[in-house]
Amino acid sequence: MAILSTTNLKKIYGNGENAVHALDGVTLSIEPGEFTAIIGTSGSGKSTLLHMLGGLDRPTSGSVTVDGKDIFSLKDEALTIFRRRKIGFVFQNYNLVPVLNVYENIVLPIQLDGNEPDAAYIDNIIETLGLSEKLSNLPNNLSGGQQQRVAIARAIASKPAIILADEPTGNLDSKTSQDVLGLLKLTSKKFSQTIVMITHNEEIAQLADRIIRIEDGKIVTRENM
Amino acid sequence: MKEFVFIMLFLCTILSLFGIFLYHCHTLRIMRRLEEMIDAAIDGSFSEHTFDESRLSALESRFAKYLSASETSFKNTTMEKDKIKTLISDISHQTKTPVSNILLYSELLAEQDLPEESRQYISALTVQAEKLKFLIISLVKLSRLETGILTLSPQKTPVLPMLENLAAQYAHPAKEKRLTLSISEPESLYNLSAVFDEKWTAEAVGNLIDNAVKYTEQGKITISVIPYEIFLCIRIGDTGIGIPEQEHTKIFSRFYRSGSVHEKPGVGIGLFLAREIVTLEGGYMKVSSRPGKGSVFSVYLPL
Repeated sequence: MAILSTTNLKKIYGNGENAVHALDGVTLSIEPGEFTAIIGTSGSGKSTLLHMLGGLDRPTSGSVTVDGKDIFSLKDEALTIFRRRKIGFVFQNYNLVPVLNVYENIVLPIQLDGNEPDAAYIDNIIETLGLSEKLSNLPNNLSGGQQQRVAIARAIASKPAIILADEPTGNLDSKTSQDVLGLLKLTSKKFSQTIVMITHNEEIAQLADRIIRIEDGKIVTRENM
Repeated sequence: MKEFVFIMLFLCTILSLFGIFLYHCHTLRIMRRLEEMIDAAIDGSFSEHTFDESRLSALESRFAKYLSASETSFKNTTMEKDKIKTLISDISHQTKTPVSNILLYSELLAEQDLPEESRQYISALTVQAEKLKFLIISLVKLSRLETGILTLSPQKTPVLPMLENLAAQYAHPAKEKRLTLSISEPESLYNLSAVFDEKWTAEAVGNLIDNAVKYTEQGKITISVIPYEIFLCIRIGDTGIGIPEQEHTKIFSRFYRSGSVHEKPGVGIGLFLAREIVTLEGGYMKVSSRPGKGSVFSVYLPL
């Protein structure tokens, strides 16, 4: 059974003459444990799609089903909690909490849920992402690439069922990109996590099990590797 | 004044009783939800109900996580097992042809005019190749049985024809060692039948008779049948070297060979295969033996 599916998803900004069809009837389904890359040019609607998949933005019409649940049937508060427990996000603009240091940012979603962080596992992530030296720094003292790595650590620290990543390696050099994707793939195998990753880099997309191409708010081809 | 105190006391009692009642209902509701969760998990249909800040909702999420983690690890183990099984069957199948070719060429070589020394080497080569062939055939059988490619189809079958066939088959090797191989009181066995797969059971019992012939230097090998309430017992008794008690369980394991039989030909898979077959038919095997006093292997087949 698909863990993540959408049916005829539409998002229209504005109305009348100025209406912009950011998503124009996207239907897709993603199996558990699948590593999917969504690839498309800037403005093609891929970030909008990712936001819908994670329930961050409500569609104009259509539905998103996560783990058998229509997420837009949930009330806002329930949706927030659902997201926190099921989905790990890596945002394009990182969205780190500026007053918390690196370590606090990483364990925040876990602590919000009233759980104790799995120290050994988190140490391992921090090590792999090369953040050991920066744990007590505040986000605004870090470079873009470092902030991105903190965002990735935060997304995988709570072992969510689904990881949605928007250009997770956009600001990293190619060596670190490979390491980060390796880590993502490894943890997803281990905890059978599903990953949906947005990228415009063909080379990185090739690492995925499946590539979905999106253009003008529509899926154009699907490649099963 | 006294009345007021009394009324207050009464109200307090009522309120606390009401509180206790509410708490009781709350606990009942939680217990009911927990029961539902566990029932759903047993059915494999568990999904989280509510998403709020309550501890029950957090517990649901954790439970869902636990279930998916255990499912993942189960899947991984099954996958690894399958890989190993495939590997075994690949090895077994792919080696069959080259081994047959080795045997063929060593036979051809033996027909040539060769010095005596070379002849010895060739016969050693043939013996080893035969052994390898037997081992591979056994492994193929095992892997097929274990992966379920071959399934046994036990049916109600008379035992005497199978035993007579086996006795005829091993009469020659027994005669060569001057051993008596016999079925005790065959005339009383006409009506006896049990539920088994004839082809595979013959393989299992055949292995036992083969062992009996191999490990007996003088005396006799007796095949007897004893009917019980729910099992039919086929016994293979010999007057051979016997097996010390501490090895009674080990001899049924894969590739185990007792230290006292190292010079004899064999690979240590016969008993393992026999027990595998008999177990798949719903029966079991037993051994009783003492060193120097011979052995009795019993196969219990369901009626």
